[in-house]
Amino acid sequence: MRLLKQVEIQPGCLNTDGNRIDSLCGLSLSEIYRKVCNGYPKFFKMDGLCKTGFVAAEILLEGLTPEQKAEGSVILFGRAGSLATDRNYENTIRDPENYYPSPALFVYTLANIVTGEIAIRHKMQGESSMYVLPEYDSEAETRTVQAAFDESDTPLIVSGWVDYENDDNYQAILNLYIKD
Amino acid sequence: MNIVARGTYMVTPLGEGSECNYEALCQGRSELKPRPGVFGLPETFVGSLLPRDYWNRKLKDMPGRDGLTLFEALCIYCIKEAVGNADLSDSDTIFILSSTKGNVDLLETNPDDPRAYLDWSARKIAGHFGNRNTPVTVSNACVSGVCAQLMATRMIRSGQYRRAVVVGGDLLSRFIVSGFQSFKALSTDVCKPFDANRTGLNLGEAFGAIILETTDHVGESDWVYVASSNHNDANHISGPSRTGEGSYRVLRDLLKHVDATELAFVNLHGTATNYNDEMESIAVDRAGLAQVPVNGLKGYFGHTLGAAGVIETIMSMHAVDHGAIIPTRGFSEQGTSRQLNVTDAPRATDKKAFIKLLSGFGGSNAGICYRKGGAE
Amino acid sequence: MEELINQLKEQIIEALNLEDMTPADIDADAPLFGEGLGLDSIDALELIVLMEREYGIKLGNPAEGKKIFSSVASIADYVSKNRKK
Repeated sequence: MRLLKQVEIQPGCLNTDGNRIDSLCGLSLSEIYRKVCNGYPKFFKMDGLCKTGFVAAEILLEGLTPEQKAEGSVILFGRAGSLATDRNYENTIRDPENYYPSPALFVYTLANIVTGEIAIRHKMQGESSMYVLPEYDSEAETRTVQAAFDESDTPLIVSGWVDYENDDNYQAILNLYIKD
Repeated sequence: MNIVARGTYMVTPLGEGSECNYEALCQGRSELKPRPGVFGLPETFVGSLLPRDYWNRKLKDMPGRDGLTLFEALCIYCIKEAVGNADLSDSDTIFILSSTKGNVDLLETNPDDPRAYLDWSARKIAGHFGNRNTPVTVSNACVSGVCAQLMATRMIRSGQYRRAVVVGGDLLSRFIVSGFQSFKALSTDVCKPFDANRTGLNLGEAFGAIILETTDHVGESDWVYVASSNHNDANHISGPSRTGEGSYRVLRDLLKHVDATELAFVNLHGTATNYNDEMESIAVDRAGLAQVPVNGLKGYFGHTLGAAGVIETIMSMHAVDHGAIIPTRGFSEQGTSRQLNVTDAPRATDKKAFIKLLSGFGGSNAGICYRKGGAE
Repeated sequence: MEELINQLKEQIIEALNLEDMTPADIDADAPLFGEGLGLDSIDALELIVLMEREYGIKLGNPAEGKKIFSSVASIADYVSKNRKK
């Protein structure tokens, strides 16, 4: 397998293949979205975890054709998963006097929705998985990606780390792999 | 390389132990009932709940119980019962947890409770057995239990580990039930998978463990891993594909490794929501399996979230062990656009393989195939 | 009615995160689902919550809401006749 590209996003910093992209550094996730994508209003319905993964994937997969992506997979790792949204959802049910559970929040209280959002956006019908680990482990990532290439027909995998705590604390390190 | 299921154990409101649960299914039992006022919810739901007092008492004196939540203690209990006296502390063993929400109920009292992180629970569980490998948690919504087995087999097949401890579970809470209620996904009656009058799903609580190991010698009664597959619909985050695309692709992949004539049955997700069951009927039909017996177990256990893939796999193994196909409790009249061979009464089978299929939020679909006694 | 329609438009934009949209962008008679605003099944569920929270109107399921939610004007019509708050 071969690593084709890497995108790294955290507050104040956006690198592709280790090179800082000055025009996008220091922008919020929504501002990055407006620069690199636009025209996908569903973005604004997403929670922080999905927005983080979504914009990183936009930059990572830029220029690939639908055919190249069609059988692609999204295999991500993270620690917090959907916890930021879990806390927001909890706020809609805590007070019995103001009890209005929000379906639009609840759907994002699953850690794997970010893999689904990327798969939907890029029409990737290979695998999708979210694995929770205590910290980013690039060796675990490469082993998992290699095993997925060995054991399935997917020719392309978006993998890496996606974690979101709040607007001041999030990180995506996404890698694009192809099967040789 | 052969991977076999060396031990299984499960805890549900129907009983403790795999065989005990299987017997309960044979008797057609279920603990799905209306739960007025439970979790302080304004709206009654039908669910299958573990007796909390009983389990708190029973596990109170478990060694190392201090500092564990009931969720973690139940995972540990299942693993212990599944392995017997085997030592799980060796570096060749990996722990894989399957859960959608873990200790999410703790957010009610403290939004910053560190135990709400799934990796906390996974480390507590692996640490309890003295295992020092970093455990993995699979959090793929409703398909987690099958994906955890998929991950386990890949870790063994790639030579990283010789043994994987797969444990799946979820406890219901105000959080989870209110969310499904807001989705209008819950039936106010006991659910009716694939039935014409189905009106939604029921939630349930369960825990289960499967120990997978590589082996040189496969015995006649061993359950052998055949294949697994995972596909995204790439369609919608909460609505299943109208064409059953992901589930169809999963079945298509699995059928490269097992012949349809070998299958005792396909154990479907069968949540009894209108969309899920319709989607599955299309996927099964497209995969050419319309004649193969299919069944669903949600009418006994409800939808047990992170445990579903684990406990439904275990029950499928036991059914084949007994030469039987478990009937689909709640089903009476075909209610999907494609005609399936839904098992509605106890049936005998002499076939030795089965497929367990799941699908869920995020567009996920996953399936796994096991065969008894190795290659035919 | 005009006032209720505008209020509903603002509430819908807020509840459904329709970023970049203003009440003036929404045609009160245009379909909300399918073409139109392109809302989906989760939006429909969130509209059910909005109806209960803001107007005390309880709708059992999305099917019940289907006709009511066909346009902002139809929602306004239903709300004006059934609101409890």
